[in-house]
Amino acid sequence: MFKRLKNKSTGILTYADYKKPWFKVLYITILLLLFVAVLTAVTPLLWLFISSFKDASELTATPYHLFPENFDLHKLAEVWQMLDFGKYFLNTLVVVVGAVVCSVFFNGILAYTFAIVKPKGYRIFYGMVLASYMIPAVTSIVPLYKQIVDLGMVNTYIPLWFMFGANAFYLITFKNYFESLPKALFEAAEMDKCGKWKAFFTIVIPLSKPIIGVVAIFTMTAAWSDFLLPYLVLDNDEMMTVIVKIYSLQSTMGSLVGFGPDKLLMLLTISILPQIVIFAVFQRQITGSSTQGAIKE
Amino acid sequence: MKRRKSVLQDRSSKEYRCKRLFRNNWSGWLLMLPGLILFTFFVWAPLAQNIVMSFCDVKGFTIEGFNFFENYKRVFSDPMFVKALSNTFQYIFWSIIIGFLLPIFLGLLLSEVVHFKGLFRLGIYFPSIASGMAVAIMWSYLFDPNPGAVLNQLLTALGLPVSQFLSNQSLTIPLIVITMTWRGAGATVLIYLSALQNIDNSQYEAARMDGAGMWSRIRYVTLPHIAPTIRMLFILQIISVFQVFYEPLVMTGGGPDGASVSLLLLSYKYFFDSMDAGASAAVGVILSVIIISLTVVYLKLSNPKKEKK
Repeated sequence: MFKRLKNKSTGILTYADYKKPWFKVLYITILLLLFVAVLTAVTPLLWLFISSFKDASELTATPYHLFPENFDLHKLAEVWQMLDFGKYFLNTLVVVVGAVVCSVFFNGILAYTFAIVKPKGYRIFYGMVLASYMIPAVTSIVPLYKQIVDLGMVNTYIPLWFMFGANAFYLITFKNYFESLPKALFEAAEMDKCGKWKAFFTIVIPLSKPIIGVVAIFTMTAAWSDFLLPYLVLDNDEMMTVIVKIYSLQSTMGSLVGFGPDKLLMLLTISILPQIVIFAVFQRQITGSSTQGAIKE
Repeated sequence: MKRRKSVLQDRSSKEYRCKRLFRNNWSGWLLMLPGLILFTFFVWAPLAQNIVMSFCDVKGFTIEGFNFFENYKRVFSDPMFVKALSNTFQYIFWSIIIGFLLPIFLGLLLSEVVHFKGLFRLGIYFPSIASGMAVAIMWSYLFDPNPGAVLNQLLTALGLPVSQFLSNQSLTIPLIVITMTWRGAGATVLIYLSALQNIDNSQYEAARMDGAGMWSRIRYVTLPHIAPTIRMLFILQIISVFQVFYEPLVMTGGGPDGASVSLLLLSYKYFFDSMDAGASAAVGVILSVIIISLTVVYLKLSNPKKEKK
């Protein structure tokens, strides 16, 4: 076990330290503490997944038992069909795809003008973006909702898509990246009388695939989890996203016959699973990039 | 370059400059336009309108003339506001106790470990992937005060008395902060980890040459290097705790007896429960003012240290 420590030549402690028995004990303690941390992180979700297979009486049964009597996948199908849950998934998918497109396109173009085109007066707007970045957007949700009502966009996905096109964090992430691109490229484009619009598509986008991926993944998870604005905008059941539907079921618990806490837990499991899949696929981008950008400003 | 400049000077009439300004910039302005329209619609206009509304009589959605500080007076005289304000500081207190040092500590451990590094990283980050709403509902079931429910069974097995959890006024806020830390710590740990991995190893070697033990290496090499990150994440954490909303909304509804109401939840309740948009806007403005002044003061206080270097 300690053989692998031989290669440890960086960090606070190196193999030179671990040769001493006292540090071996310390290393094992570190491993144990981390195992405890991972266990604490994972157990509540595991509890959810296991418990969601219990039926209503099992959930409140005394004495308590952790595992359901049988893992019946029929329950999943039953809940799914009872609520016709596929349609909420489809709705969520529509919201997420639109949000990702808007997020990448609008924040990308604005960041491109701020970072490279720099038309006169852009500083004013960039300053405004930074200033409003500090203020939590939720505080002005009521006037925003009013504007949406005035435009007749209640029960449409348009505001939910375009909202992601005005995100200071994604904008700053893009801007930092674009500023790191070699300037010579854009000078060459200008010489060729290549328009600014064309330069965006032929130079910036092909060079920015990694950062586009990062912003797309962030938007994907954010749009999937987004609650408050979707909850206000979508009051028609046919239009609801998964999270909005789950919240409305939770807050009106008991009014729908045959729908109890056990089924709600199953829905929670169903809603979290796609996020785990997304995470599994893009794990490296997510854990690698959550550390970028956040600190820079 | 010089020649071009002289040409420009020849034609520096106001009209010509205007035309030139437009010709050089119009395509750039055009590119900015869509993004700026979205920012105006989704961020700036609601923000401005919120400030206006906080000084107005608002019936439903319609503004019916200025009333100056009426809304603010109403809010300040509401005992629930005082409660929410003091709760918010309790949230901050507990989040500093529970959620501030833990990620630094885990980051340190994670940067030193050789075995299972990927597994630990994924495991610790895992709770961050689920949506805040879903996770808050999950916790509200985990904190079931029924003596036969899972956590109380666990407490009984450990020989501890059963707990009312969220229904116990003095426990609600710490418990909510625990769930927030559970969900948020992973992302913070990764930020610390990347800061720790950026430390130049030759500094550790130099410290080792000088005979520095583990503690002095941490004290004189590690901590000074991650200090800027710590400073930044500290204020970011406080700002985000000021905005706590989903957890009390879902887990307690602000209760018991207002013990977990936060400012944002109060602003939400003013509008959606009592249809008082003016008071709702006023609370939003108060919250924003607190956050902005806190950030500015904090940045002012933490900057002089930099200059000393």
